[in-house]
Amino acid sequence: MATVMELVKESEVQWVGQPLKRKEDPRLITGLGKFVDDVKLPGLAFASILRSPYASAKIKRVDVSRAEKAPGVICTLTGSDVSKLTDPFLQISSAPANKVKDYCLAVDKVHFVGEPVAAVVAETRAEAEDAMELIEVDYEPEEHVLDARKALEKDAPLVHEQVGSNLVFHGKWDYGDIEDAIRKADRVVNAKLHFHRFSSTPIENNGVVVNYDRATGFLNIYCNNQMPMFCIPWLSFGLKFPSNKIRMITGDIGGGFGTKIISYPYIALICLLSMKAKRPVKWTEDRREHMFANHGNERSFDVEVPVKKDGTILGFKVSAFDDCGAYTRYEPAGATIWAQVSPGVYHFPNLKVDFFQVMTNKAPVGPNRGYSRMQHLWMIERTVDIIAKELGLDPADVRLKNYVRSDEMPYVTPSGGIYDGGDYSESLRKAMKLIDYDGLREEQARARKSGKLIGIGIATAVDSGTNNFGQVKIITDDNPFSGNSEAARVSIDGLGQFQVGLGTVPQGQGHETFAAQIVADEFGINPDQITVLSGFDSAINPYSHQSGSYASRSAVMGTGALLGATKKLKEKVAMIAAHLMKTLPENISFSEGNVVDKQTGKKMPIWQIANVAWVNNVLLPEGMEPGLVALNFWRPNFTLPDEKWRLNQTLTYSYQTHIAAIELDPESGKFKILRYVIVDDCGTQINPMIVEGQVHGAAAHGIGAAMFEEFNYDENGQLNSNTFIDYLVPSAVEIPHLITGHLEIPSLFAPKGIRGVGEGGGTPLGAISNAVEDALAPFGLQITDSHQNPQHIHKLIREKISKLNQVR
Amino acid sequence: MTPKKFDYYSPTSINEAIQLLHDNEDSKVLAGGQSLLALMKLRLAAPSALVDISKLQEMSYVREDKDYLGIGALTIHDIIEHNQTIKKKFTLLTDAASKIGDQQIRNVGTIGGSSCHADPAADLPTALSAVNAHFVIRSGKGQRIVPATEFFVDLFQTAVGHDEVLSEIRLPYLPPRSGSGYIKHSRREGDFAIVGTGVVLTMGDGNVCKDIRIALGAVSATPLRAKSAEEYLKGKTLDDKNIADAAEIANEGADPPSDMHGSKEYRMEMIKVFTRRTVKLAMSRVM
Repeated sequence: MATVMELVKESEVQWVGQPLKRKEDPRLITGLGKFVDDVKLPGLAFASILRSPYASAKIKRVDVSRAEKAPGVICTLTGSDVSKLTDPFLQISSAPANKVKDYCLAVDKVHFVGEPVAAVVAETRAEAEDAMELIEVDYEPEEHVLDARKALEKDAPLVHEQVGSNLVFHGKWDYGDIEDAIRKADRVVNAKLHFHRFSSTPIENNGVVVNYDRATGFLNIYCNNQMPMFCIPWLSFGLKFPSNKIRMITGDIGGGFGTKIISYPYIALICLLSMKAKRPVKWTEDRREHMFANHGNERSFDVEVPVKKDGTILGFKVSAFDDCGAYTRYEPAGATIWAQVSPGVYHFPNLKVDFFQVMTNKAPVGPNRGYSRMQHLWMIERTVDIIAKELGLDPADVRLKNYVRSDEMPYVTPSGGIYDGGDYSESLRKAMKLIDYDGLREEQARARKSGKLIGIGIATAVDSGTNNFGQVKIITDDNPFSGNSEAARVSIDGLGQFQVGLGTVPQGQGHETFAAQIVADEFGINPDQITVLSGFDSAINPYSHQSGSYASRSAVMGTGALLGATKKLKEKVAMIAAHLMKTLPENISFSEGNVVDKQTGKKMPIWQIANVAWVNNVLLPEGMEPGLVALNFWRPNFTLPDEKWRLNQTLTYSYQTHIAAIELDPESGKFKILRYVIVDDCGTQINPMIVEGQVHGAAAHGIGAAMFEEFNYDENGQLNSNTFIDYLVPSAVEIPHLITGHLEIPSLFAPKGIRGVGEGGGTPLGAISNAVEDALAPFGLQITDSHQNPQHIHKLIREKISKLNQVR
Repeated sequence: MTPKKFDYYSPTSINEAIQLLHDNEDSKVLAGGQSLLALMKLRLAAPSALVDISKLQEMSYVREDKDYLGIGALTIHDIIEHNQTIKKKFTLLTDAASKIGDQQIRNVGTIGGSSCHADPAADLPTALSAVNAHFVIRSGKGQRIVPATEFFVDLFQTAVGHDEVLSEIRLPYLPPRSGSGYIKHSRREGDFAIVGTGVVLTMGDGNVCKDIRIALGAVSATPLRAKSAEEYLKGKTLDDKNIADAAEIANEGADPPSDMHGSKEYRMEMIKVFTRRTVKLAMSRVM
C-alpha cells in the first residue's frame, strides 16, 4: 500500500484535502474486519425469531412446550413473557399516538407480516430454527389497512386500537400567503404524486450479541446499531435496567444508511434472552428477516404550485401523507425532518404543508439514506419539471430562474433553515457542461424523428446534515431532545504516540482516516503516526448521548469535537514545552513532531514533552496535573422552534445536481441510462476520495430505488419482495459510469467549512423520473411515481395509444 | 435461513449415485446447488438426503457426435457460455447461459441442474426447448432418451424419476442455413425472465422459412412452444410483416403468472415484442 508519505512529500503539508487511502481498508479488504457476527464468546448460544404471517391478527395462544423439548433448546420467550418483564418502549409521538405499545415481541396482537412473535435460544442456530417450527401460535386474523390515505378514512381498521386512530401526527406548516399567491398566479400547476417504499439493504444485516454478566451485573451488548448511545434510554426504560451497567460495543459495520438506528427492539430481546438463558446469546438477522422489517418512508402528495408565465415559482401548497408502517419507533421525527429542506433549492416565500403521518399494517419504517428529505425533494423536483412542461419552458431554465442565488447566502428558508453557502446555478451549469446538455437536446430531437425515445432529467437536491434534535419539539414539547453533540479524546502517551477516540460510530465511512487527517494538521505530524480507535465501545470511547453516525454528521461533529480536544492538548503541551524551553507558551508552534520556539527556532520532540507529562513528572511546571489527555464535547449553536415552527434544523446544507440521459424502449417500457452526471458541493473536502465514494454510493442507491428497488405488498399485506430475487438491488452492470464534478464552496458555519456528505438527497429519483417523463414527451405522459417499473411505463404508453386510436 | 437436517452423500460414480437415490426415499440430487440450496435455506425444500454428484467430473464435457452435440449434465453455465462449438452451432445457448444470474452462479450452476429444476422462468430450459434437445436419463435399468417436449412435465417437474439421473443433453445438429437466438426480457441482467424467447430457424431459398421453433419461458408451467406462430411462418418469407403477424399470435396458449415485475397482460404483450425481436436475431445469424 502506498503510504501517505509517498503521496505528499512536503513537510508543511495540509493533510485536510488529500485523497489519502483509508486506514480502514487494508483490514477490510483482506478479510480481517471484525463484524458483530464475528463475535465469539465462550458458551455462546444462538437465537431465532418466529415472525407473524399475518398483517393483522389477534394472538389467541402461543404454545412453546414442544419447542422447549426440542434438541439443543435452552429457552424460549413469548410476548406474554415480555409484557411481564419489560415496559413498552418510549414513544416520541404526542397523544394519542404515544399510546402505541411497542414491545420487542408482539403482545396479544400482530400488526404486520414479519413482526416478531416468539424467540428460541439453542446451542446452534440450526437447532433454534428447527425448534421455532415447533412453536404453535393460534391467530385470529383481523381487518388490515395498507394505504395511508385509506387508513385515515372513518371506518378504516385500526392498526393499534388503543390509539383510536391511525394518525400519528398532523402538522401544519404555513409561511407567507399561499392563497394570495394562488390568486395572483398566471397558472396553478397541480400534481398527485407517490413516493414508493424501499430501503438501503446494507451488506451486513442487523446483529446482536449480548453477554449478561451475572458477576458484575453488566449487560455487555455487541451490536451494529449506528447510534448506540441514543439507544440507551430505550433499553434502560424498556428493560428497567440501570443505564450505568449497559455497555454498548460496535466493531466494523457493513453499512447502516439509517436502517440500523431502530434496532433497539432486537437488542432488548437478545438482552432478555441472555438473562433468561444465563448464557451469551447471538442473533444475526438473515436477509429475509431484514427485508421484512427494515423499510423507508412511503409518502404521497397533493401539490398545487402557483407560477408566473416566465416560470417564476410563487410557492408550494402541499398535502403529504406519510406511511410509517405499523410502529412509530423513530417516527414521527421524519414528519418534521423534511422541513430541513422545506423549499428545496428554490427561492419562494409562500409555503403551506399539511403533513399527515399515518400507521398502516406494513413494516415499520426507519431512517434511510436521505431520510424524509428525499421524499419531499423528489416531490419538488418532479413538480418543477411538470411546471416547465406546462409552461413550455426548458426545465434547466425554470431551475436557473428559481434557485436561491449565491449572493443571497446565508439564505433563510421559510421554515427558518439557514442555508450555509453554495452556488446552485453554478452547479447546474457545470453539470450541463459535463453532460453536453445542448448537444443532448439536439440528439434527442434527431432521435425522436426516427422513433427513438431519449429523455433528459435534471434534479438538484439539498443534502442537509448535522441535525438539530430540537425539531422533535414540533411534535411535542415533552420530547427531551435538542441540539446535537459529539465527543472526542486526543491523547499523547508517555512514549509520544498519538491516539484518538471518537464517539462517532463508523459503518464504513472512513472515520479513522478523516480524524487522523484533522489531528495531523493540528500537530504538524503524519496521519500514519496517529492511531484512531476503530469501532465504538462505551467503556473505552468518549461519547455523548447523541453520538453515532446518522444525518451526515460525523465529519462535521467529529471535526468540531476533535478541534476542541486538540486545542486543549496543544495548550498543555505548549505550557510544558515553554516551561522546559524557558520561553512563553504563545511562542510555541508545532511542526513535524516537534515543538518549536518561534522566536529562537529551537526544537524539542513531542515525545520528550510526553515523557515529562507522564513519567518524568517532577519536571512539570508546579501544580500542573500529569498526563496528556484532552477530552472535548462539542455542540453547534442551535435554537428551538419558534411558535411557527421555524428553526434551523441542520448545521450544513450540501447540495448535488444530477443529470440523467436515458433511452426508453416504448415497446417494453424498459430504459437504460446513456449518460449520468453529478456535481456536488460539500464545502471543504477533508478527503476527496472518501467524498467521491459517498457521491457514488448515494447515486447508486438512488438509481437503484428509481429503477429497481421496491417493497411491494399484495392485497393481504404479504410482502412480495422479500428476497433479492424480487427486491432488485443494482449491481455494477446496472449502475452507469458516473461522471462527477465538484464545487468546494466552504460552509459559512461549520468547522473548517466542512459540510456533511453521503446521503445525496435521493437526487437520482428526481433525475430519473424527470428523464422518463421527458422521454415520453411525444406521448404527453406524466410520471407520478418515484419508482419506474417497465410494466407500468408500458401500461401508460398502451393506454395513451388506445386513447389516441379512439379519437381517430 | 438454515436448512433442515439432511444426510449428505458424495458418490464416486453415476451408478453409485443412482443406487443412493434408490436407497434414500426423500433424497435429491445436488449438482451446482444454485436453486436447491436456496430453497432449502428458505425451508421450501427439505430433502432427507442430498446425493452430491458435483464431483463426478466425467459428467462435464461438450462432445461432437455424428448427429448431435452432446453436453454432459454437469457442464457449468460458464463453459456453455464460452464454448466455441456451442457458440457457432447453437448460439441461443450462448445467449441464454451468459444471462444466468451472475458470474459466481455461472461458475457452479450446471445445465443439467437447471434443466431438472425446471423453473419455467429459467433460461436454459427455454433455449433447450427451442433446440428440441434430447435428454439422456440414466437409471438402474439402463438409459432412456426423452425429447424436450416430453422432458418438461410441469412446474418444477421433469421426466426424470426419483432414482434416475440426467446424464447428457443432446442437441441435434441444425441443417445448413440455420440460425438461433435467445432474448431474455428482465429488469436486470441475470434476473429470472419476465419473458424468455428462444428461436431456432432454418431458411430455404431466398428468405423463405423452411423450419422454425419458437420457445417461450416464464409464460406457462413449462417452456411453451409458440406453435401457431411457428406454423404461420413455415413456408413464408421472413419479412417484417410476416414476422410481426406471427409475433401477434405467438402468445396463443400462454398462461403467464402475474407478479410485481410483470402482470399477465404485460407478459402476453412482451411475448409478441420479444418473439419478433428474437426471430430477427436468429435470422441475422443464419449462415
